[in-house]
Amino acid sequence: MKFSFLLALLAAPFAARAAVDLPTLWAERAKTCVAVEYVTVTETERQPTISMGTVIDANGTIIMQSGAIDPRAATWQLKEFKVYLPGDADGTPAEYLGQDAFTGWHFVRASEKIRAQLKPITAFAAKGGKSPVPALADFAWGVGLRNKDEDFAPYLMQSHVALIQSLPQRTAISQQEVASPGLPVFDRDGVFIGLAQASFGQSFLQFGRNPRPQPVVLINVEESSAVQLADEILPYLNRIPKDVSGRPLAWLGTYGLEPMDREVAKYLKLETQSGAVVSEVLENSPAEKAGLKERDIILALDGKPLPPLKPDRIVVSYLEREVDRRAPGDPLTITVLRGSDRLDLKVTLGEEPKILREADRKYYERLGFTAREFVYGDAIDRHVKIAETTGVVAHFVKGSSPAAVAGLRPDDWIKEIDGTEVKTFADATAKLAEIEKDAMRAEFVLLVSRGAETAVLRVKLK
Amino acid sequence: MNRGFNQLLDAVVRIDVREVAFEAGSKRYSASIGSGVILTADGLVLTNAHVASNRAIELNVTLANQERVSAKLVGWDHWTDLALLRIDMADVKKRSLKFAHADFGDSKKLFPGEVVFAVGTPYGLSRTVTRGIISNNNQYLEDLQGVNGYETGLFNTWLQTDAAINPGNSGGPLVTEDGKVIGISTRGFNGANNLGFAIPSATAQRVVEGLVHDGVITRSFIGVVLGALQDLESFYSLALNTGVLIHSVEPGSPAATAGLRASDILLAVNGAKVVGRFPEEIPDIQNLIASQPVGATLKLTVKRGADTRDYSVVTEKLESRVGEEWALEKWGLSVRKVSRTYAREKQLDDANGVVVIGVQPGFPADVAGLSRGDIIMKINEQPVGSLDVIKAAQSAFDAKPAPTLFEVQRSRRVSLVILKP
Repeated sequence: MKFSFLLALLAAPFAARAAVDLPTLWAERAKTCVAVEYVTVTETERQPTISMGTVIDANGTIIMQSGAIDPRAATWQLKEFKVYLPGDADGTPAEYLGQDAFTGWHFVRASEKIRAQLKPITAFAAKGGKSPVPALADFAWGVGLRNKDEDFAPYLMQSHVALIQSLPQRTAISQQEVASPGLPVFDRDGVFIGLAQASFGQSFLQFGRNPRPQPVVLINVEESSAVQLADEILPYLNRIPKDVSGRPLAWLGTYGLEPMDREVAKYLKLETQSGAVVSEVLENSPAEKAGLKERDIILALDGKPLPPLKPDRIVVSYLEREVDRRAPGDPLTITVLRGSDRLDLKVTLGEEPKILREADRKYYERLGFTAREFVYGDAIDRHVKIAETTGVVAHFVKGSSPAAVAGLRPDDWIKEIDGTEVKTFADATAKLAEIEKDAMRAEFVLLVSRGAETAVLRVKLK
Repeated sequence: MNRGFNQLLDAVVRIDVREVAFEAGSKRYSASIGSGVILTADGLVLTNAHVASNRAIELNVTLANQERVSAKLVGWDHWTDLALLRIDMADVKKRSLKFAHADFGDSKKLFPGEVVFAVGTPYGLSRTVTRGIISNNNQYLEDLQGVNGYETGLFNTWLQTDAAINPGNSGGPLVTEDGKVIGISTRGFNGANNLGFAIPSATAQRVVEGLVHDGVITRSFIGVVLGALQDLESFYSLALNTGVLIHSVEPGSPAATAGLRASDILLAVNGAKVVGRFPEEIPDIQNLIASQPVGATLKLTVKRGADTRDYSVVTEKLESRVGEEWALEKWGLSVRKVSRTYAREKQLDDANGVVVIGVQPGFPADVAGLSRGDIIMKINEQPVGSLDVIKAAQSAFDAKPAPTLFEVQRSRRVSLVILKP
């Protein structure tokens, strides 16, 4: 009797395992996976891009990794979003909702037509709201989608957990690739355990004619073995941007946060404390107003010491995330080491000034370049005071165009047009529009600055 | 050939140079060969700055009669790529050695097509004469890294010749048929046929005088880059052959402080009219500014838009972008002083600090994570205002090895690193 009881105990888990049929679980969960295609329209080109995304709710909302869209592209340049179901040849139009600064995710919404065929990842979250944290050697599997020419056919990938790290998000690294970047990963029972990220580079040696092998780093862009755990995903699915701009964006206003390594901490008698050195405090920023100074070493946020993270530079991502997590107007107490003093600085976070992708632009077909509004970030890059800023930036220069022949290059800072200072974007566009439409014009002159150099460029139109 | 030419041949020497470089975190020695010409009976030898510079630690001159004597550097000037040596005359006397010396001709009287000869020791071959003509007597050629990383060609134009000039010819004379030195063979174009360039004797004579007198050539600097006005006259409403374009103004320079801006037209310096319609005319204007005393107040007449007015600009001493170098061998660290020009170019607050130009793998500097291009601003909280500061820090480290804190700037990002024993 006693013996058979023991047997029953042993048999129970086996019975539960046996009921799990991986192909069935896989087929059901592949419905959380889609491919998203969009076109970036530039002055002269149309660039199609495809990324993978995971469905997060019953409204057909889809998240994609931050790398899915070029951060320099203005949102109005992103067109013709389409969602493809696994095995779908045609795709259906979708809407781009914007990017969330904290998670970095891009949100896309599928059209109503196909929503019934989608399944949100939340349907496979652990019951009771507590997501399982995989242990080392645990089995994990995920979904991959083939390329467009194979109709994004879904396939199964399997692996085991090899390492769990904070980057600073908790991330499981599996032994082999376990899913396409942006697609979910599950445990043996089909419970959602995380989302595959952009994969890591792997070092190889390349042998050629040269007797010395060349070290190369290869990145598998189609499959990944880095999986951000479910606890880093599920609580944030509600961060759908209110509008496509992704604003509001919290802003601290430091430039060049550099991690403090362990040796330096020891030297400064900070022992195991993590920290980040502030290289510059930006003009008119919340950090400046709160009294943060360059060379301060940030040690804690809201009284919470910066966690020890490896590699050292992860502490910078941690800091940036702690700002992005908050909203403009939120208070943040920053503890810094200045010389031998420890100071608590009370910052009220601000709203990030206009960023590059939001800058106004205008393309002049005949002249062959795009003038872009000079924004805050341009002043930072060029190391000039905000009050001294003037002019516009050459955002794009068409090859062999009059502007290109004259020597204009992307990122050149245009300060004068035809000998007149252009103070604002409106000044510049008024002048350029006049030149563009004057068919009799034989040439015009730009004064541009590039690095520490300034040059006079003559643009010949005839 | 006439007597003058034969005498010239006896004045041409081969120069063997052993020099030190600091690039890879250590002092590295290398040897090279150039040519030179003896100018005086007391043993002054003219050669190129890229042959003999302040990096030279040993100079040997092989006379025309194959006898070898040592020499010392009198001075060098990378802007014109010229250097002056003096032969060890005590040794010459003791050994009763004989040599001839050459005379300068007038490079201003040369005409394209005139026959000239290049004499030197190409590839270390013993004295070699090649013949050609003056291809161009006023060629403009500037190179911001032309003399072992130093700027050259801003203050002179060049003689161009098709006489064969090969490596090792550098520093040898370019002469007319009567053996008069009208140029110093300096460079060729790699991969081109018969495009050789020589420093004209008019420039060389001036530089020799200065080096004999002071050991250095001191020039003034105001921080403008000039550009030719060709074809822009109508845009600026100027008569032809009037003024020169101010192509750019170095931020923080005397010209910038005085209020000059790029696209201004410089009409006159201290009342003397300047004309920079073509690139070849620019070195003369640069030279006019450079030859003013350091600290002098120049009156620049400048046209901006419709207005013409005078600006007062106080000159600074001209400095190379390349600062003094040193290797801290125990740290495996090579550094170069941040120069004023470098600081302005990189938009640094001031010229404090030293730039890392090389590290030796596995040595303390490398282990600490220092790398090429980093600017060391402070060591143990002390600003690095000169090479002496970092040399002293290394001596202290040698005497009593202890972790040393470096503040490093890397493209405007500030890091702290510890150098460990």
